[in-house]
Amino acid sequence: MRSYAAQRAGLAVVQLAVLSVLVFVLTSLLPGDAADLRFTETLTPSQVAALRGELGLDQPPVERFVHWLGNVLTGDLGTSLISGGPVVDIVRHSIGATLVLTLATLAIVVPLAVALGIVMGTRENGRVDRTITSITLALSAIPDFVIAVVLVAVFSLKLGWLPATWIGGNLLSSPALLILPIAVLFGRTVCLLSRQVRAGTVAALNAEYVTQARRLGIPRRQLLLRHVLPNAAVPGVQELARTGDTLLGGVLVVEAIFAIPGFATALVDGVETRDIPTVQGLTLVLAIAALLINLGADLVCNRLVPRTALLR
Amino acid sequence: MTPVVRVTGLSATAGDAVLVDGVSFEVVAGDVTALVGASGSGKTTSALALLGEHGDGVRLAGHVEVDGQLVVDSNGVTAAAPSVRGRVVAYMPQHPGSALNPARRIGTTLQELANLHDGDAREAVRAAQLPQDRATLKRFPYQFSGGQRQRVALAQTLTCRPQVLVLDEPSTGLDSITRLQLVHELRDLAATGLGILLLSHDLDLVRALASRVVVLDAGQVIATDVLPPAPDLEVRGTSAAGQPLLTAMNLSASLRPRGRDVVLHEADLAVRAGACLGVVGRSGSGKTTLARCLAGLHERYTGTILLDDEPLPVLRKRTPDQHRRVQYVWQEVRGSFDERRPVDQQVARTAQRLRGLAPDQAHAEAVATLARLGVAAITAARPPSRLSGGELQRAALARAVLAKPDVLICDEITTALDDHGTALVLDLLTELKDRGTALIWIGHDLRLVAAVADRVLVLDAGRVVEQGPPATITTEPHHELTRRLVAATRIGDDPHTPPVLTLDPRSEPRR
Repeated sequence: MRSYAAQRAGLAVVQLAVLSVLVFVLTSLLPGDAADLRFTETLTPSQVAALRGELGLDQPPVERFVHWLGNVLTGDLGTSLISGGPVVDIVRHSIGATLVLTLATLAIVVPLAVALGIVMGTRENGRVDRTITSITLALSAIPDFVIAVVLVAVFSLKLGWLPATWIGGNLLSSPALLILPIAVLFGRTVCLLSRQVRAGTVAALNAEYVTQARRLGIPRRQLLLRHVLPNAAVPGVQELARTGDTLLGGVLVVEAIFAIPGFATALVDGVETRDIPTVQGLTLVLAIAALLINLGADLVCNRLVPRTALLR
Repeated sequence: MTPVVRVTGLSATAGDAVLVDGVSFEVVAGDVTALVGASGSGKTTSALALLGEHGDGVRLAGHVEVDGQLVVDSNGVTAAAPSVRGRVVAYMPQHPGSALNPARRIGTTLQELANLHDGDAREAVRAAQLPQDRATLKRFPYQFSGGQRQRVALAQTLTCRPQVLVLDEPSTGLDSITRLQLVHELRDLAATGLGILLLSHDLDLVRALASRVVVLDAGQVIATDVLPPAPDLEVRGTSAAGQPLLTAMNLSASLRPRGRDVVLHEADLAVRAGACLGVVGRSGSGKTTLARCLAGLHERYTGTILLDDEPLPVLRKRTPDQHRRVQYVWQEVRGSFDERRPVDQQVARTAQRLRGLAPDQAHAEAVATLARLGVAAITAARPPSRLSGGELQRAALARAVLAKPDVLICDEITTALDDHGTALVLDLLTELKDRGTALIWIGHDLRLVAAVADRVLVLDAGRVVEQGPPATITTEPHHELTRRLVAATRIGDDPHTPPVLTLDPRSEPRR
């Protein structure tokens, strides 16, 4: 067990190293830089070159990388070329809203999806199973922005029950702000998760060890909770990791529509202004989050059913 | 003595098909009752009726009384059935090791069962001969070897403190020495007052244990308390010498790269056209690794393998003709069939691919070969999931035979077959041999190997410890292991063979 955790963490460290190189190389490939974009119209080429020197943009990529990595390791993600403030501050300001949104969505989706998955799995191909499958599939098939527009039109504009956009203030202190964004994110995540739990439940129920436990007289309720669920949860936890990744990075549509100043918004702003240090910093934070989420998921799976996620 | 289980006129029907028809038997405390029959004869269906369990769409009827409670009556399963599960009747499936929940520590499940049935987990662990320390109970099933997993499953059933233990083919996959040990353990269990219902096609095991025998065939009782006589297997002498067709020299094989975990040490062997080399040894002695090296499937080996004096490379570097000339049939065949296509088509495929026959010609040949092995055309036209383990084993043999190989490697290919099925297989192989095919026959049952082979090689812990003509090996064994193998062939004859008390630590599951 412990050695699995150690091996898996070791792998995560390697991934992290590869990832930092990738983040740097990919962001360097973006065409143009801040000096180009902001000042070509007002400055002469020689002044642009001087600015480049000042920003360190004229140094060879390897040197820039070493310099950047050294700073990152000390917790300094660099300075934004646009705002002039530290990138760490941009991360700090934008990540709050995204985290709240992600965690609140998961807090609603996870229990519901697990319950639905078990209900469906224990009634494989029955009427309840097919009904729930149809509904969740249909929900997940509608694009986010369509749901968002419809919800805003109905609940904000027509009925006026809920605010349509974020108008400043703390998301946590006014939970009404969260209802519509969560509703938009809900459909696909609940569908994907519940389907994985359902598949896991069906597989576990048909497994020989459950048949044997039933033959030894273990009552149904105990059988479901103690023998089936730990096995059924494994594909669910892995799906949950993927969902977590997507929610952190991919809630752009939701952030855009509801004007929530979150992570994705900050990232898009950074790309648009060629603010390379900001893009690098945000991408790195996102990538590390994804890495940690998957590390956590693998460790949980290995605890639930040892050897399911064994390194080969 | 009043029986704990009384079954009268049990029938099981699925639509129009009758799976079990009028079966009656009893199980008495402290005694062994055996249900005997080929695979598919209704043994398991009859035994699961004691728990009120049946397959989808199967209807049970008759009279099944367990510990005074009616579990099945003329209308089917009664409401009392769940209450006997575990508490009165505990069932051990055919591969009990795979019936353990991978997500649970074994102690957790044992304690759960103990609470449920008022049993004693520690006592059960002791009776199943597992180590009794706390650490054992904290381990997960994957941390046990294959043999120990079976013991864990046994401990689970014993924790329920049942009055009747049902054992479904308990000798499957055991080598003959371990099987002898099983006989003694089951005798000890029966002596504690447990009634045992033994389901088996292994007549030697039944002869050694059971005092009541019910022989089933196609769902009907065809005999009670009489066993078909043991087949008379003749031990062969040596045959004439000739040029070796397949030779292996100085063959060593390891499980991990760069020669770590060596499982086969410097083995030499040669087999001539029309001859048969027998390889015997316990589970884990390196028999299958040897076979896989020759078949080209195991690539981590050193040494030389020659076919007709030419080096024989690993499988993926063999020419189509070399593919055809060396064929390998292994023990666990279910995974080697595509579950979506009919078995006969898959068998015919070798003749198409390796001999270039037209599809209909190949199919006709496949059906004929399968029929010779006792697998009817109508059965073979089904997908593999609808065939029994024994039928698939024979289909796998037919698939290899259709390549018209020059060397045929048979690795424990009769483990799921009854005496009749085994005889059909041996008959076909004898004919192949007479036509000049070289056979390599791998088995743990020295009696059978001695009847098939011209020369026998004994493997122990990856080393060849003895070889010679079968007559010499069985009458004047030199090595300790050979002596034990010879003794183990007589489990049916001598009920008072001294117990062999070493648990084989090498019985790891095969990869």
